[in-house]
Amino acid sequence: MSDSVALFVPCLVDQFLPEIGQSVVKVFRRLGIDFSCDLRQTCCGQPLINAGYTEGAKQVAKRFISIFEGPDYIVAPSGSCIHTVREHYPRLLADEPEWHKRACEVSGRSYELSQFLVSKLGLDDVDARYKARACLHESCAILRRLGISDEPKSLLKNVKGLELVPLNDADVCCGFGGEFAAHYPNISEAIVKDKANNFQASGADILILGEPGCLLNIRGYISHNGLHGRVKHIAEILAGE
Amino acid sequence: MVVIEPETNNFRELVRENLANEQQRKLLGDFSLILKALRDFSFGEMADGHAALQGGQKIREYAVNSLPYLLETFEENATKAGAKVIWARDAREANAFIISLAKEKGADLCVKGKSMVSEEIGLREELIKNGIDTYETDLGEFIVQLAGKRPFHIVGPAINMSVDEVSCLFNQVLGFDKTQNPVDLTMAARIFLRDKFEGAQIGITGANMAVAETGSIILVENEGNIRFSTSAPETHIAVVGIEKVVPTLSDATHMLKLLTRSCTGQRISEYVSVITGPRKAGEVDGPEELYIVILDNGRSRIYADEAMKSALQCIKCGLCAAVCPVYTHVGGYAYGWVYSGPIGAVLNPLLLGLGKAKHLYQATTLCGACKDYCPGGVDIPNILLSLRERAMAGDRSLAADRPPVRQKIFYCLWTWVLMDRLRYKIVSKLFRMVLRIAGVGKLPILPAGLSGWTQCRNMPQPAKKSFHDLYAETSKWMAL
Repeated sequence: MSDSVALFVPCLVDQFLPEIGQSVVKVFRRLGIDFSCDLRQTCCGQPLINAGYTEGAKQVAKRFISIFEGPDYIVAPSGSCIHTVREHYPRLLADEPEWHKRACEVSGRSYELSQFLVSKLGLDDVDARYKARACLHESCAILRRLGISDEPKSLLKNVKGLELVPLNDADVCCGFGGEFAAHYPNISEAIVKDKANNFQASGADILILGEPGCLLNIRGYISHNGLHGRVKHIAEILAGE
Repeated sequence: MVVIEPETNNFRELVRENLANEQQRKLLGDFSLILKALRDFSFGEMADGHAALQGGQKIREYAVNSLPYLLETFEENATKAGAKVIWARDAREANAFIISLAKEKGADLCVKGKSMVSEEIGLREELIKNGIDTYETDLGEFIVQLAGKRPFHIVGPAINMSVDEVSCLFNQVLGFDKTQNPVDLTMAARIFLRDKFEGAQIGITGANMAVAETGSIILVENEGNIRFSTSAPETHIAVVGIEKVVPTLSDATHMLKLLTRSCTGQRISEYVSVITGPRKAGEVDGPEELYIVILDNGRSRIYADEAMKSALQCIKCGLCAAVCPVYTHVGGYAYGWVYSGPIGAVLNPLLLGLGKAKHLYQATTLCGACKDYCPGGVDIPNILLSLRERAMAGDRSLAADRPPVRQKIFYCLWTWVLMDRLRYKIVSKLFRMVLRIAGVGKLPILPAGLSGWTQCRNMPQPAKKSFHDLYAETSKWMAL
């Protein structure tokens, strides 16, 4: 593939889950995808937008746009970060015509990992091997905001050794919601408890998802309560050999 | 009976109370499951449910964008049909008109159909205060009135109450014998209300839609009480929010298909009344006089605000509540005022003022299920974000409190950190160090955010080396 691909590493991955970034790198190398990772990148500004601090979000958006203007594709192992670039950047910069144009241009080239692999590259088999019984949580930003549902499923179907079992209410929110989880812990706990219970009832050993935030939330709840099972990002499964 | 003051800023307390109600939690789970299944089935039956949904959203978007024109057309055509149209700027004006009209008619008894807008303006309480005995005639709303509570849900105001609770309530307030049979309870309410219908001089309803083209109002219900309220008394007063207008009867029939499917998963409700003016010569049913009170009460302010405008596209089907992860856990009372669920998180702050409902637009996960299901095309997630933005800016036009200075400084610093690679690297390294110390319990006080997180979750393990560091190392190694 001759097009250039830029890896966009969400700040949660950078700070807490570098193994997800490394997994993406591994998958890209296996597929022979020529990619780069510009280390000037920091965060897309999603927490600022969610907090309503638009002035800051605008500055961060412009910085992001300037960094990611070159490559043909921008790919991230997160739906909410891509949604931020795709939907919120053009909205935030709507009053500044020049920046709005640049925002639209960058947002049109941004893809969530599974969306990029399946819809852009036309791959649904990345030659991965992962022995486990697993189920898939469909994170809200990926499913609802980006409309991605078949892509991760078709990728996982072709992972050798992986047995996918259904998860009840797979399309229901896990209760993360960014700062919501910390500011309204009682509500968040009630919601994530349902998710964990459904995971326990599924009979799977691994819960797969594509969103770093949901991962920290569900994983944190499961380990805090000593429940069975692990939570993994889809990139980690696709990197399996 | 007293007007119940908004408790919207008592959110945390209400959440705690409601989360502790196990019976209610179970009911909310079942409610969501059943309603979603019925809704999906009824949309699945349509030739193209998705296209129908999009069509409805377009109708509502067009209607809200053309409000001034449609309202004037509606007034003209309703007047031609013999109705009297009254414009009310706010709750006070609407209530004052209705009470003076009732007094003029010498009315002492009034029956009401279920109407959220009348809850919003506290109409029933005002009528009672002014000596006009007023009864809700929708079974759920009747229960809510007797219990002195707020509606638990936009469509099902008493869905949270068990047969036992209703039985005790009817026993205490009305003196009916206790029973565990819901049919008997319904019959008891019917017998009680039958007299009221027959004696009432005035019937009050809301309207699900107002049709500009014909000057008609449309009322949707399953119990027949609304039709009774509009036809038995001599005077019918309909209170209609300005956003309820749709251009044509054909638009209205399309919206009707979406409304009943989204409300209850029904293809059509048991009763649909299309009322065009009062009873005419030779007609058997209908009131002698029809008054239509068109109410603003803060809506024109929403209309004028581009970021909030789509909130007016809501058709009050209540489906957003059933698909909302927050509502389906905390229930309707937690929202503290008339509207509950995601649309309540938007409308309560917009109508009461941001400062009076500061938790509602913050306490959401932004999952977007509400938007996906909405037949009116309300962009709830983006309105929530806009509300947060206005709160941060201390927007006086939405009656927000002063800007939260400490938060602003915090996010300003956060932005400053994100604007430079080196700052990001240093500060995030420090942050990970703090977390690591906190993670092994060596931090005496946890910052508020962290203690909220760890209430039910383990602290995330901060990476020893960030991805950036690891990547930089490998790149160096690869270049060798």
